[in-house]
Amino acid sequence: MKTAAFVGMGLALLGVAGCANTERSRNLNDPNVPAKVMAQQVCSNCHGIDGNSTSPNFPKLAGQQEAYFIAQLKGFRSHGRYDPEGFEYMWGISRSLTDEQIKGLAAYFAQQTPAPNPPVHTERISAGKEIFEKGVPSQNVPACAVCHGAQGQGNATFPRIADQHADYIIKQLQVFQRTEERPEGAVMKQITHSLTDENMQAVAAYLNSMPVPAK
Amino acid sequence: MHTSNIKFRGGLNKAIVMCSSIVVGIVGLLPSSAQALPAFARQTGQNCVACHAGGQFPELTPYGRMFKLTGYTIGERTVPLSVMGVVSYAKVANTSKSDNPPADFQKNGAPLFATGSVFIAGKVTDNIGVFSQTTYDNYASQSGNGVFHGHMQADNMDFRYADRLINEKRDVIFGFSLNNNPSITDPWNSAAAWMQYVPVPSPTSHQFIDGTAPYPGFGSGGNLAGVSAYMFWNKLVYAEFGTYRTANQGFSFMSAGINDASTTKLQGANNPYWRLALSHEWGPHNLMVGTSGMIAHVYDVGTDISDPNNLGRFKNAGIDAQYQYLLDPHTVTAQLAYMRQKQDHSANALAAGSPYFLADGITPVTPVNASDTSNILRAKLSYIYQAKYGGSLSFFNSTGTTNTLNQSSGYDSNGQITSLDPLGTGISSTRVTGNLSGNPATRGLTYEAFWMPVQYARVGVQYTAYSKFNGASNNYDGLGRNARDNNTLFLYVWGAY
Repeated sequence: MKTAAFVGMGLALLGVAGCANTERSRNLNDPNVPAKVMAQQVCSNCHGIDGNSTSPNFPKLAGQQEAYFIAQLKGFRSHGRYDPEGFEYMWGISRSLTDEQIKGLAAYFAQQTPAPNPPVHTERISAGKEIFEKGVPSQNVPACAVCHGAQGQGNATFPRIADQHADYIIKQLQVFQRTEERPEGAVMKQITHSLTDENMQAVAAYLNSMPVPAK
Repeated sequence: MHTSNIKFRGGLNKAIVMCSSIVVGIVGLLPSSAQALPAFARQTGQNCVACHAGGQFPELTPYGRMFKLTGYTIGERTVPLSVMGVVSYAKVANTSKSDNPPADFQKNGAPLFATGSVFIAGKVTDNIGVFSQTTYDNYASQSGNGVFHGHMQADNMDFRYADRLINEKRDVIFGFSLNNNPSITDPWNSAAAWMQYVPVPSPTSHQFIDGTAPYPGFGSGGNLAGVSAYMFWNKLVYAEFGTYRTANQGFSFMSAGINDASTTKLQGANNPYWRLALSHEWGPHNLMVGTSGMIAHVYDVGTDISDPNNLGRFKNAGIDAQYQYLLDPHTVTAQLAYMRQKQDHSANALAAGSPYFLADGITPVTPVNASDTSNILRAKLSYIYQAKYGGSLSFFNSTGTTNTLNQSSGYDSNGQITSLDPLGTGISSTRVTGNLSGNPATRGLTYEAFWMPVQYARVGVQYTAYSKFNGASNNYDGLGRNARDNNTLFLYVWGAY
């Protein structure tokens, strides 16, 4: 191959994409990029194209309540939510999103179907079910189902927690219990106040294993 | 010995004081918010840990790999500039078995500003992105009187065009790269261009640190000019094919700062590079198993490229694998890489032969092979806690054919062993890197512990222990130097902005 061919290829690389391409853009500061494109080109890297993330470092977003989703993204954007994973990953991603894009992302992920998880700590599931359905009266812990729904499907700003990764649930329970980093979830501080590590692991194992409720 | 120990401690103390001051300086200067980060982090607004496993550069997380494969285009355009610098200290186990210790081990036990890099890195358009590094080496060359001279030159460069076709049914990322180093395009850290412990400063006292020990790599080296096309299909199959040529004429910016005689010269542009990898993620785990290779037609350094007798050839084929477990606060990585290389020597190199004699001092040694084969294995295991405290253990083993052509130590016409070139033909060798056997076998272990007080600074301590060097455990240069004499303690402070 001659020099000219090499230079030609180099120029071709620069030439093919001189302009913005909102249909397949990964630009997080372009209000013209549709929410669906953003979800597929960017969010899917960690959360999965259908909102079923592979790694428990990242929450599953499939079937998530739109109101909760919107509140979280706005919380990241305004730096109101500042748990470490929140600011390490999400502050930057959300910083230039428009309200319209956030709304569109919420709708996109709410429409996705949650997929079942591989089981974890199955021996803890029955204890977790007990906490989810009845709480821990001796520790003044109310039942999760009261706010999050009998099937863990959530309701408006109360998130869907069914089928969530166990490791993610435990981490968030610890954030609520031990920090002020999620002020929008202040109600959870009181609720998680007397949860033991064992309680958290049990309820997380149960949520991780919950059957997918009908939408 | 006693004196040397005292000197060692004095030097080490100075190094620790200096390193500590620099860390305190860096920590003090840089704001603790997530706003002030190197170029890519400014572009995505994310922390280093989003893309780098446990914050450990340069190893990428699954997300970091997607960021790279989509051409560094995620995020919003910002000032695409970053800088990094390295302060280092090295101490070699034995500096006495040398003809000229001040030259062979200059700066031994002395803290120094080793290298610094400037990066132009970031999103250009929705489909085009750049990663381009230029490095200043404060100890790049040494003049006859032993004085070091600093030098700036082109380092790793990767200019990309990428696109992604993704929907519920398929996910295809594809792109093209114009780059100067085979495998620099690769998103896995077990690829030849990325597995190396960084940083790697260059003073003579640092010539046995891990970064200079055997690594599976391509015979052609870097600072070439190449184009490659790649594809990542359903996060499962990665394939790349490229070809390289000399980085001159329109591509001279890719070897900028390297003088013409030292620039690697390839014959034509038919020097293919290929890569195939399978990847899988499950829960917090991910695994890659891959293979890569290259055929490069390379002229002997500094020779006349119009003479085909100066042309040699490297054929490389390797396999590598990487496993990561990433679940906050733990990061575990295991890497394995193996590279086989067949080198066909140029006709002129074979004709020139070796400058040494047999032990009788009369019979010149003649090359025994027209080509050599070498095998290099690297295995590395690392653990990082909270993206702050980390450690790793690495094993390296290089073996290969024995060839008198590879000797850099031998008998002169008086039947005496010398590491200097007895014919004065310009082959430069020093006793401490002399190779009497003509065999490349080198084996050892490297231990590292590091601390990242903030995400863009790292303090590390590394120890590399050799059980074999240049073909032998003992007396590898014929003048009494043993492999373990090269064991090296290496401290560094690395910072980026």
